Amino acid sequence: MVASTRGLDRGRVTAEAVGAAFAEDLAAFIRVQQQAGLDVFSDGLLRWQDIFRPLMEAVGPVKAESLKRWFDTNTFFREPDLSGALAGINRTDGMVVDAAVPRPRVATLPSPFMFSRAARTDRDRNQLMVDLAGKVLRPVVDAAIAAGCQLVHLEDPWLGYFGIESSDWAPLHEALGLLHRDLHATLAFHVYFGDAGPHIDQLRRLPVDAIGVDLVETDVNELGSGWDKGLVAGVIDGRSSMLESLDNTVEVARHLADTVRPRNLYLSSNCELAFLPTVVAAQKVQRLGEAARKVKQLVSV
Amino acid sequence: MSANLDHKPLLTHEIGSLDKPGWRVKAYAGQPLNDRDLEEARSWGERLKVPDYERLIELLRHAPFGKEQKADLQRWSSLYALKLEEGAGLDVVYDGEQQRTEMYDWAVSHSNGFERRGSVRAFDNKYYTKAAVVAPISLKAPFHSAEFSYLVSVADAELKIPVTGAYTIADWSFDERYDVDTDLREPAADRRRKRKAARRDFVLDIARNMIRPNLSALISLGARWIQVDEPGASTEPDELDLFVDSFNASVEGLNAMFSTHLCFSDYNLFFPAIERMSQCRQFAVGFANYDSRELGLTDEARPGYQVIKKFADLPYKPALGLGVLDIHSDFIESPELVRDRVLYAVKVFGDPARIHVTPDCGLRTRSWEVAFTKLRNMTAGVALARQELGLPDPAR
Repeated sequence: MVASTRGLDRGRVTAEAVGAAFAEDLAAFIRVQQQAGLDVFSDGLLRWQDIFRPLMEAVGPVKAESLKRWFDTNTFFREPDLSGALAGINRTDGMVVDAAVPRPRVATLPSPFMFSRAARTDRDRNQLMVDLAGKVLRPVVDAAIAAGCQLVHLEDPWLGYFGIESSDWAPLHEALGLLHRDLHATLAFHVYFGDAGPHIDQLRRLPVDAIGVDLVETDVNELGSGWDKGLVAGVIDGRSSMLESLDNTVEVARHLADTVRPRNLYLSSNCELAFLPTVVAAQKVQRLGEAARKVKQLVSV
Repeated sequence: MSANLDHKPLLTHEIGSLDKPGWRVKAYAGQPLNDRDLEEARSWGERLKVPDYERLIELLRHAPFGKEQKADLQRWSSLYALKLEEGAGLDVVYDGEQQRTEMYDWAVSHSNGFERRGSVRAFDNKYYTKAAVVAPISLKAPFHSAEFSYLVSVADAELKIPVTGAYTIADWSFDERYDVDTDLREPAADRRRKRKAARRDFVLDIARNMIRPNLSALISLGARWIQVDEPGASTEPDELDLFVDSFNASVEGLNAMFSTHLCFSDYNLFFPAIERMSQCRQFAVGFANYDSRELGLTDEARPGYQVIKKFADLPYKPALGLGVLDIHSDFIESPELVRDRVLYAVKVFGDPARIHVTPDCGLRTRSWEVAFTKLRNMTAGVALARQELGLPDPAR
């Protein structure tokens, strides 16, 4: 896929060949997830050049957008330009999980908080957040559920990395409420690239089914206990090529199950795996599956 | 090269990379060449007045190529890129890094201590190969000396050698040596502290054991201007002091003009840390990507350049390599747009001798046609600015 998309950009490869390369890589990624024994399957957003791009293409003609650094990584995204009124979207093609992915499926989308903060806009960002939730993200979520997604995973590195003003929590509630209302799927809000500890009490009050935390950055002892929500535990480091110790990962998961006592415990990477070469990412997915199997044998969650 | 090149008004240069021609890529990869590839070599050879380019065409007709012939093709590619830059009218040139695989991969694959791990996306459909540090770092052999020696023999214009900097190499690498015993049950604050100390050791080991000996080798061959490329410098805002320390450890006591290239960052982050980088005589910085395409000299017309005042105020008075070409777009900046960006910067600095003019970054993501047109417009825009300022055309 890397070679074929590069060739496409240079006019040396046909679109058909690129399509075939995508299909081949997707099949390989599905095999890795199946071999690892994962419970929910992803298409890896292989066709997404960044987390906003297909959404922005659906919002309207994409303007010339600046490249911006994706937090403290060496990856860059096109800054969405959301100035002016937001019309919403009337198509969701290219954003729904590929039909080749086994069920149950996970749909991964930007959280409305992060989307509204990462965009260039002349609008009030909290109003934009609510608009994005209702007019852009909700139609995609509905289409994803209709296409067999049982888990909707909202990525929010912004809150982890930059934090959040106290006055932003209420609009965030409102935005997530628009996504959660009458939803026939599990909605997870995943904070990463930063310490979720200082925000845990507020996060637990959000209208979602599960909260994700980046345990590379967050102290397990700051998570509290007796959760009435699920916990997406980011126990695999998506930014390090070092393979996690199986025993250590299992011990951490056991500790979380015993002390945090979430309604459901999901084991996951701390962030997307796009920062890892494919071979390393596949090893990490395998390790995640191994750890999950062992933890399931040891605890009942 | 004049001793005070760093204060030559409105001096123009490129930043680093150019795309590799199709004939060079295919020939090197052992793929068959077609008529289009030969025509590409012929037409650019003719257009750029590359000496004896017919010999390249003849060579390309005799695929497959052995090791010596591939090395020869790399030199041809270097020569073409050099002549493209000279043909565009740049004052200071190099070879578009034609002999290197890529700025990061070339450095780590010529050093001990690293193992390749695979490709990772940078942006859009652009990927780079990432390696992990697994063992003590050292130089296998100076890895820019051969290309530099060749270019000295064929260049008409002055040369500036781009060298990937220590911080960027560390930032773009995985760490499998310095910070390896992560236990998520440990307090997160303790893990962060260990990570920070390990990172410092990693970056400074690269500066001392890999970059510095490479720079010394270039200087011994006659290099007078070396640009330390640090596109990763502001990736971790709390590590800017470490970036500065790594630059200083790389160049301290060496006798050449050193500059650094920064791009695609919030440049405000670099202050005040870079106040300690007094051996850096020029900062080449990308701004056009953030700027308006409208003409004008007001602050409103030039939103991408609002931060340059901070560079102007640096106590050791370095030059600013002013990025005026957006390298992520095929948009062709007009000479008038370049002129206005330059005049705006001169107005802010109050001294044209501290302004140099460059693209935002290497042009390797653009076709040669686009890159050449952009660079020609850049030099034409500088000529307009010189006229406006009453500056004479610089003598080569």
